[in-house]
Amino acid sequence: MAEKYLPVILLVDDEEMIITSIKSFLAIETEYHLMTYTSPLKALEDLDNKVKKVDLVISDYLMPEMDGISFLAEVKKRMPLVPRILLTGYADKENAINAINNVGLYQYIEKPWNNDDLRLIIRNGIEKTHLLNELEAKIREVEKVHKELHDVHKEILKVFV
Amino acid sequence: MKGIPNETSPQDDANAELIQSEKMASLGLLSAGLAHEINTPLGAIHSNNDTIARGIEKMKHLLAEKGDADNRRAALDLLGLLEEVSQNTSLATERLMNIVGSLKNFTRLDEAEFKKADIHEGLESTLTIVQHKLRERIAVKKNYGKIPLVECYPNRLNQVFMNLIVNAAQAIHDRGTITIETSLQGDSVRVSISDDGGGIPAENLPKVFDPGFTTKGVGVGTGLGLSICYQIIQQHQGKIEVESGNGKTTFTMDLPITHKKDERLRMQARQGAAIKKKR
Repeated sequence: MAEKYLPVILLVDDEEMIITSIKSFLAIETEYHLMTYTSPLKALEDLDNKVKKVDLVISDYLMPEMDGISFLAEVKKRMPLVPRILLTGYADKENAINAINNVGLYQYIEKPWNNDDLRLIIRNGIEKTHLLNELEAKIREVEKVHKELHDVHKEILKVFV
Repeated sequence: MKGIPNETSPQDDANAELIQSEKMASLGLLSAGLAHEINTPLGAIHSNNDTIARGIEKMKHLLAEKGDADNRRAALDLLGLLEEVSQNTSLATERLMNIVGSLKNFTRLDEAEFKKADIHEGLESTLTIVQHKLRERIAVKKNYGKIPLVECYPNRLNQVFMNLIVNAAQAIHDRGTITIETSLQGDSVRVSISDDGGGIPAENLPKVFDPGFTTKGVGVGTGLGLSICYQIIQQHQGKIEVESGNGKTTFTMDLPITHKKDERLRMQARQGAAIKKKR
């Protein structure tokens, strides 16, 4: 039996407490493959070396190694199409909104968050990834067909001219 | 050390007001970080409770169905997960209680009077409150000596400790260490707080206790922090000194363990002025 494809979510928060909460909720209500990191640097390292595909990235804002906005900007460099979500305490809301505009974040979630909202934001983000991927595939297909058509056109011209 | 006037004067009232406003300003600076500190465990608890409620619903369904081996395994998995979530809630609750306890300990609103207090306890609760400014960037080394209780206004001394620790943290740009030492020096307790954040330029050193002197730029510091620390230590008939060199800055305070009765009355009069102003 072929394994069902589970969308991959990468979650970074320096607080183990938050990771446990989100992990448990997602385990009980959803079917995602969740990768968790307490260190944004380690997450980037793995993105460069080990991790092949990610459908969505969630990051905490205030972390000692690097802040969530810089981390998500780094993620964008590596995977421009993957939706990025910032998880933030209320105090840095202004920063978060600036970041959404500057770094092009998909969404931000305030702590304490509502689990239903979290699930919806994740689901929509992943859907967006899939739509973008499909769109990309379709564009490639159209380009291929277009090229084939162009070649046929050339052949026809050769025959008649 | 400068002398202390015998009675409260209009100047004292103005000073009391200044101390109060600086305290509010520093709490304001802290509140943004505190909100983050509180929202982390609060966020976990909020989510955990929801997850537990969902888990219970799922468990009900599992138990209502005919119990085959698969169902039994699913139920056991679910119970394991719920157990983890509930442990996580305990951790988060403990963290919140710690934060609130430290805030209470720090402000000591319930005991604004002059009393014998444990300096180490004050240092510890101050450290908990400024934790978000330190995080993993700054290591705190503590060399606590064996010291007796000190007669003081604990909430005011905590304000001094907070100011010095936040200053030290701001002086360290990348990674560094803050060292806190306490020791008994004759009839005084010595508390020193040092950082390896690069040091204070020699030309600024004589000015650091001057009201309004700041190098932090608009919006970061009020420029009153150290002058108020100086005043508070003076009120305790103590001494505060600063030394800087080789990339290291140390603030050293000597606090008398006990005070003569008439001194105590004068300090209470000053505290009275502060409370009067606050109302």
